[in-house]
Amino acid sequence: MNTKPKILIVDDKPENLKALRKVLKDLDIELVEATSGNDALKATLCHDFVLALLDIQMPGMDGYELAGILREEEKTAHLPFIFISAVYTDNLNVFKGYENGAFSFITKPFQPEILINKVKFFIDKHQQEVALYELNEELKNANKELDAFTYSVSHDLRAPLRAVNGYAEMLNEDYGTHLDDEGKRLIENINYYAKKMGALIDDLLAFSRLGRKEIQVSEIDMNEMVEGVLIEMNKSITHNAKIKIGKLHQVNADYGLLHQVMFNLISNAIKYSSKKEHPIIEISSNEKNGKIVFSIKDNGAGFNMKYADKLFGVFQRLHSQEEFEGTGVGLAIVQRVISKHKGNVWAEGNINEGATFNFSLT
Amino acid sequence: MDYEVEILIVEDNMSDAEMTIRALKKNNLTNKLLHLKDGAEALDFIFARENYSDRKIENIPKVILLDLKMPKVNGIQVLQELKSDERTKKIPVVILTSSKEDPDIQECYCLGANSYVVKPVQFEMFVKVVSELGLYWMILNQPPK
Repeated sequence: MNTKPKILIVDDKPENLKALRKVLKDLDIELVEATSGNDALKATLCHDFVLALLDIQMPGMDGYELAGILREEEKTAHLPFIFISAVYTDNLNVFKGYENGAFSFITKPFQPEILINKVKFFIDKHQQEVALYELNEELKNANKELDAFTYSVSHDLRAPLRAVNGYAEMLNEDYGTHLDDEGKRLIENINYYAKKMGALIDDLLAFSRLGRKEIQVSEIDMNEMVEGVLIEMNKSITHNAKIKIGKLHQVNADYGLLHQVMFNLISNAIKYSSKKEHPIIEISSNEKNGKIVFSIKDNGAGFNMKYADKLFGVFQRLHSQEEFEGTGVGLAIVQRVISKHKGNVWAEGNINEGATFNFSLT
Repeated sequence: MDYEVEILIVEDNMSDAEMTIRALKKNNLTNKLLHLKDGAEALDFIFARENYSDRKIENIPKVILLDLKMPKVNGIQVLQELKSDERTKKIPVVILTSSKEDPDIQECYCLGANSYVVKPVQFEMFVKVVSELGLYWMILNQPPK
């Protein structure tokens, strides 16, 4: 948008319009004149205005009435006004102007600099808004492209992986009897790494799918959800952790996504405390500064706070595969879901002293 | 060429096709199997056109295993064309593809797909899935007519 910002000036007296034009002549703007409320409304249909300067006392539709109509129309609902009036200079009228959503009120005779400055302020504000909007659109597009890319990469990576896995298995089936132990070990390794890559692709796909999903908010009983997560988890993971669940706050959030968050955080807590003799996991919630903070605390391997900022990055891991298996996507998913809900995620921990993962929701 | 085909596999990926055929072979289901490598050729076969013009369109296969992502004519287009023709709409079509994406699944069922199966990455699972599919459609299922 490189066109000049347009400003609507409305006054029933041509000499007033002329005076306004003269005052504003040095600004890099386009002025559109209207001599009545009706003319002004017509003008808003064919132009996108940044600001309107309205006279109050006009025959037929006065400035207040015009402002009221403009507020109700979708296209002009957010159009700022400056009322300019020589006649009504008492406080009550100033107030009435504000009630109608005006941003400013100038009484005549006015100092030209005051009007110029006010107009400049609105032009600057408009230009900032346009710049921000454009930047935001750019960012949205970049994100969309990235998601499409991740998706197609993940998708297209599956087929060759299936082939690697398949041919290794066929080799084993057809020629396994000719292979010694070392030969068989090599095939097993091919299968192991193919499986691992499959898990990475699945996680990456889940992560990119998140980016494209709109959140659907509903009221969630978190105790009920956590119980459900644990039942599901016990089907796939064997563990001996003692899991203590406090009375949890209800929240408004996307059920499916928050379920995923809880699953990831609790399964992490189980995984990283699995080498302790008595693993203990505590799940609690607190209200702080109007936000609800959920915490999942374990007494497991913990981490060095020096690397706390790396915890939530995609494919970032603080442990080797030999210590604890994983793809490094789980916490990235947690982070993405919570930031989609405009909340925060953070963690505290110490090596061998356990870790606490927290997230806040409003 | 003998055009008596019971299983038609439409798959551009040679390794997937090889694994599918291998799994079917294990269950002795490959006697009357034909593998075609793209959607255009599949349509020619189904509608007895071009290279297949001496074939009878009424001799429908018992099942078509159809991949979605293929160059030129993709699986969705093949599905759409054969399900919108009275002579071929009765042929059972199993979509066998990598895509877990919901929109693809929805669209395939809307177009009249009879089944939608995601190819497992793990070979053992892949063999199991294809074997079950083969046995179901070739032996358990009663074909039309």
